[in-house]
Amino acid sequence: MKHAEALVSVRNASKRFGATQALEDVSVDFETGRVHGLVGENGAGKSTLCKIVLGVHAPDAGSIWLEDSPLRLLSPAEGAALGLVGVAQELSLLPAMSVVDNVVLGTEEHWGPFVSERANRRRVEALIDEHGLEVPIDARAGSLSVADQQKVEILRALGRRSRLVVLDEPTARLASHEAAELLDTVRRLAERGVAVVYISHFLNEVLSVADTVTVMRDGRIVRTGPARLESHASLVEGMTGRQIGEVFPPKPPAPADDAPVVLRVDGLSSTGAEFADVSLQIRAGEIVGLAGLVGAGRSEVAHAVYGSLAVASGSVEVCGHRLSGSVDDALAKGVSLIPESRRDQGLMARRPVRDNTTLPYLRRFAGRLGIRASREQEAASEACDDVGVRAESMLTPVAALSGGNQQKVLFARAVLGEPQLLIADEPTRGVDVGSKRAIYEALNRMARSGCAVLLVSSELEEVIGTCHRALVMRRGRIVAEHEGGDMTETSLLAAAFGPGDGTARGRSQEPAAAAGEPR
Amino acid sequence: MMAQVLPAARRYGIAVVTVALFGLLAATTDGFLSQANFRNILDQQSALLIAASFATITMIAGGFDISAASVFVVAPLFALQVENATGSAGLALVVGVAVGLVVGVANGLVVTALKVNSFIATLATSFMVFGAGFLISDRSVLRASTDAYPAIARTRWWGITTGAWIAAGVVAVAWILLSRTRFGRHVYAVGGNAEAARLAGVHVARVKTVAFALAGAAAGLAGVVSSSRTLSALPSDDFSFVFGVIAAVVVGGTSIAGGEGAVWRTIAGAFFIALMINGFNLHQVDPIWQRVIQGAVILAAVSIDSWTQRRPT
Repeated sequence: MKHAEALVSVRNASKRFGATQALEDVSVDFETGRVHGLVGENGAGKSTLCKIVLGVHAPDAGSIWLEDSPLRLLSPAEGAALGLVGVAQELSLLPAMSVVDNVVLGTEEHWGPFVSERANRRRVEALIDEHGLEVPIDARAGSLSVADQQKVEILRALGRRSRLVVLDEPTARLASHEAAELLDTVRRLAERGVAVVYISHFLNEVLSVADTVTVMRDGRIVRTGPARLESHASLVEGMTGRQIGEVFPPKPPAPADDAPVVLRVDGLSSTGAEFADVSLQIRAGEIVGLAGLVGAGRSEVAHAVYGSLAVASGSVEVCGHRLSGSVDDALAKGVSLIPESRRDQGLMARRPVRDNTTLPYLRRFAGRLGIRASREQEAASEACDDVGVRAESMLTPVAALSGGNQQKVLFARAVLGEPQLLIADEPTRGVDVGSKRAIYEALNRMARSGCAVLLVSSELEEVIGTCHRALVMRRGRIVAEHEGGDMTETSLLAAAFGPGDGTARGRSQEPAAAAGEPR
Repeated sequence: MMAQVLPAARRYGIAVVTVALFGLLAATTDGFLSQANFRNILDQQSALLIAASFATITMIAGGFDISAASVFVVAPLFALQVENATGSAGLALVVGVAVGLVVGVANGLVVTALKVNSFIATLATSFMVFGAGFLISDRSVLRASTDAYPAIARTRWWGITTGAWIAAGVVAVAWILLSRTRFGRHVYAVGGNAEAARLAGVHVARVKTVAFALAGAAAGLAGVVSSSRTLSALPSDDFSFVFGVIAAVVVGGTSIAGGEGAVWRTIAGAFFIALMINGFNLHQVDPIWQRVIQGAVILAAVSIDSWTQRRPT
């Protein structure tokens, strides 16, 4: 097999969307049999570059070459016909159909109008054998784990004799062992002579799987070079133009031993198997991290404290008042929650910034003729200024803001509530490094003003960099507590994985500088 | 350029188009610019405006209520039975609204507690309500027995019928409720993102139920006003009223997906359709063609809505 041969070449490509220059004078080669890592902050142009190659967008200027001939794609279907395929971050499987049906979708073996089930099966079985991607082929796609669904997507791409496969954040929703498995798959894909473009915020993954890495920033390519010459720190520096240590502002001082206990959770157990016998306390001004693997029950604990998830037993007290287990009551007693997914659980995308900020606290602006608009407007814009929301006006729909600014709107909402206890569930997921720092600063400011903060985070460096104390959950229980200098990636990881499984790689070690894509 | 024009056009498009249609008709059509014509349009639209302003709220909350037609047909049958029996128009009015309220609350509970899709739920309740109409009226036309009942909508104040005044009042209430109150904000939140609303402390089921209840009551009032105008009510299973209501809401630009919209939009949508029909009539366009064109306009409005939603903002 010939290596290092450019399959697709992009030359001096530029693309503008409205006022945003998404790509500027970008040239890059994607080579047969190589994994090409693509890293950069959100909005750096990674996805736009790939969409141009796949035919989703046409470049405004520049050219694209497939081997030696110019390529002018008018639609992704044309790209797919030439073997240029993307596997999107959001899976596009039909959940009610079987794995076989999903893999052959659109290219079914048929005899006249009749689908030949047996031929399809054989084809899929052959694909699975060839690539070693084990999936139960008769299962309904919707019943599979996310990792298996991802494999089905990849099988689909392979089934189309793909020559170039773009993987956009393929491991964003996978647990670490699943991610490791997927990386093996990616390597095998390249060994078969496919050109793989691998986009990920998990820099360690990119470093371990890619042959070549391209670093992008602000629509331009910073550099392209062999992956072995890059390190985690060098990539972050390239992406952000700054050093890694600058991400975390200095922590607020740890609370005194006699600082009042704000949150007291006692023997909390869920109605299902999510978590059991969780007890914890947080003092005024203290930031406590809740670490652990995906699925360890951290978000569930957060929701149970907030009253949005029913519990079977146990109690939650805030400043000595027992919470009744409803969101209303939690809000009234000074608890704010910043949920994990701002799109699904946080924001009304088409409503203005103002409405999104004030929603839980509208009672405060009550006048005789309904809401007092001017007072509401004032309070909203004050809260938004406080956390640095950048929006044209308070009446701009939040959908028009960047991911980081959307997240800050949720912080503004929390600030407006002047909470005693702030629960932040993965507050920096999907935001760029600049916004991350602003969010950490907002957390610190809340703590300094005497608010107790519970930070649920999958990024260990974030927990270590921002929290006074960390609790580690495993399988629904708090299994470890580390404070100050005892919080290290090793100690937290060891507790998260439990005894005898210290070998798991990569993902949770991923430092905060690598922003997760919004989902 | 497009970045600024598009949102503005989207935002006020229906108002602009309605005013333009008004201008066009004023310039080209004899008999359009007369007080009698306007009074007529207002009077004819009153029942629809009453029901549509609250149907807007239901739709923004993410519900789709087609039971308005059945309530519109059946509430006046109950009202007229009461009027015939007691001679009290006031009591009849209250009963008519109450019938709608009961149906609306039932719709709300079925949708929120049993989690039935609102289109199907209200289709089912519609059949039941239509059936109740045949039962209560003994399948015959009911007529007002007093002068007070027709007076509900036919009295003239400053030349305008009380039917139109009632409509104006109901519209104002719906408008303020939606745009100025906590309930209104909660309606937008529930329709825009129910889970986010729940986590912000909004009682999602309660808000939806109230929205359905108010829409039911408004449809009942619309039925009473309409029967007061025509002096009678006839049992039927005619769904056409609700199609007019939904057309006004949707042509106005309220999102069928929920979370977006406004009462003023529905008013503009209703008048756009009314002016269009008025123009057709004055120009003596064949009523069959009127339907075809009306359908095309609704299709265009919904297409524009879905097209603008796909645009990046």
